[in-house]
Amino acid sequence: MRKVAIVGAGLTKFVRRALETPKELSYEAAKTALDSCGLRLEDIDCVAHGTAPDAFDGLHQNGEYMVDGCGGWNKPTMRVYVGGGTGVHAIVHGWHHVASGMFDTCLVVCEEKMSSAMPHAQGFFLTIFDALTERELEPNLLWIFALEMNRYMNRYGYTKEDMALVAVNNKKNGLKHPSSQFKDEVTVEDVLNSEIMAYPVSRLDVSPVSDGGAAVVLAAESVARRITDKPVWIEGVGWSLDTAYWATRDLYYPRYTDTAARMAYEMAGIREPAKQINIAEPYDPFDYKALHHMEGLQLSPRGKTVELLRDGHFARDGNLPMCPSGGLLGVGNPIAAAGTMKVAELFWQLRGEAGERQVPGNPRLGVAQSWGDLMQVSSVVVVGN
Amino acid sequence: MAILERIYRNIDNRYWNPGVKAFPVKNRYTAGVAGQRFFEEIKENGKIYGTPCKNCGVTFVPARMYCERCFARLDKWVDVGTEGTVFSFTVVHKTKSNEPKESPSLIAAVKIADGLLIHRLGKCPVDDVWIGMPVKAAFKPKKERRGGIEDIKYFKPL
Repeated sequence: MRKVAIVGAGLTKFVRRALETPKELSYEAAKTALDSCGLRLEDIDCVAHGTAPDAFDGLHQNGEYMVDGCGGWNKPTMRVYVGGGTGVHAIVHGWHHVASGMFDTCLVVCEEKMSSAMPHAQGFFLTIFDALTERELEPNLLWIFALEMNRYMNRYGYTKEDMALVAVNNKKNGLKHPSSQFKDEVTVEDVLNSEIMAYPVSRLDVSPVSDGGAAVVLAAESVARRITDKPVWIEGVGWSLDTAYWATRDLYYPRYTDTAARMAYEMAGIREPAKQINIAEPYDPFDYKALHHMEGLQLSPRGKTVELLRDGHFARDGNLPMCPSGGLLGVGNPIAAAGTMKVAELFWQLRGEAGERQVPGNPRLGVAQSWGDLMQVSSVVVVGN
Repeated sequence: MAILERIYRNIDNRYWNPGVKAFPVKNRYTAGVAGQRFFEEIKENGKIYGTPCKNCGVTFVPARMYCERCFARLDKWVDVGTEGTVFSFTVVHKTKSNEPKESPSLIAAVKIADGLLIHRLGKCPVDDVWIGMPVKAAFKPKKERRGGIEDIKYFKPL
């Protein structure tokens, strides 16, 4: 397999409601990514793109519809879709295209326009649940997450306040992100006092719904070195799906993340991830989820994560900065684009181009992870400079 | 880019699910080979069945036709009783239209054998529930059952 580098990245702003259509959001992100590395569309050999459920954009066969906005006109183009996991999974998908030797360059584009789902995107989630065993109870993601969050907290004795610290950390980081949806800092009290939706989940434990797009440009080694002096290498990829059948999950340990992370670390030759990884971008649609995933990513011992968080271990200037971008909680959550945003963040961080968000100490290795489907998929990418 | 609506404060992010229950198209689902029998046992006999996999030592509840771990076909059925424990729970404060509920309701993942059934908790004050609490299925009267998960009214404390 060939070495694959990220050579460019681009984001739109993440906003509550954009005028841009899904195609136009994709175009804005893709064009920015191409401009960032001085490439034109004709330099791109293939396109890998991703959106989460068709229902959000409101277009069945959304993949086909999106093609021209993603730069896929008259090119080999493939869509990947694993729900919330799509954003990082699309990078894995693009990596295959280049690593295999089939293509020298690949444009990876992810987009989500959540605001067109009326009255709210949450309504479309009903049909992801088993028609017989669960749907009649009218589940929604909030109470499904609440069950997991409660189990996780109970298992290790974590409190709501502990979880709120994550929201505070990520939202604070996000204030420095030019794409962020938010402008205000929140405190632990704000999170704890925000209305309870499904205990233990309160309003500010959750990321927002957003419209937005994200894109990166991948290139094979020989090409990458001609494009940039600072390629960021994809050193490992991993992905895994747990069962869609709820009944045999333990809810407090994300084994799908464990499997995906170990696969990526093995490929990257990383034996001690907690010591070797310099930046982590775990998927954080809910605050507890970031910690849950840090444990699954082997970046924190199970049950000790809050302790490390309280010690500042995961702060921007800590030993292992967590979500320096701000993550989904701090920047916004246009589903598929949010995962790709995390990889874009690592790209800028490892090149020393993250501006106000820059993690000190010349970070060398970063890991990004996204998660989704019926709470069952993890996709992991390890990058290095 | 052009922004039609903007929020700056986290707390203003309060758009949540005003009540879309389904797509405007309908599906007519089958219960499946295992589901048919699982729900028939609930409807006709008020019993909950699981299917054990002897290779993996796991008893699946709700019953399934195959073992997801070793792909064995599961044709042995065992009555796993109607009691379980609360594995996790949530207290739902909002309706699907984002209105405060008249009174908060309890939803639990109930551990039975090696599986989980997601269901409501009844006859249980919201403040009294705890993880590990033993519970028992409360079935609807037989003539009201129609072969679905709602044939169980709720789980209640033992």
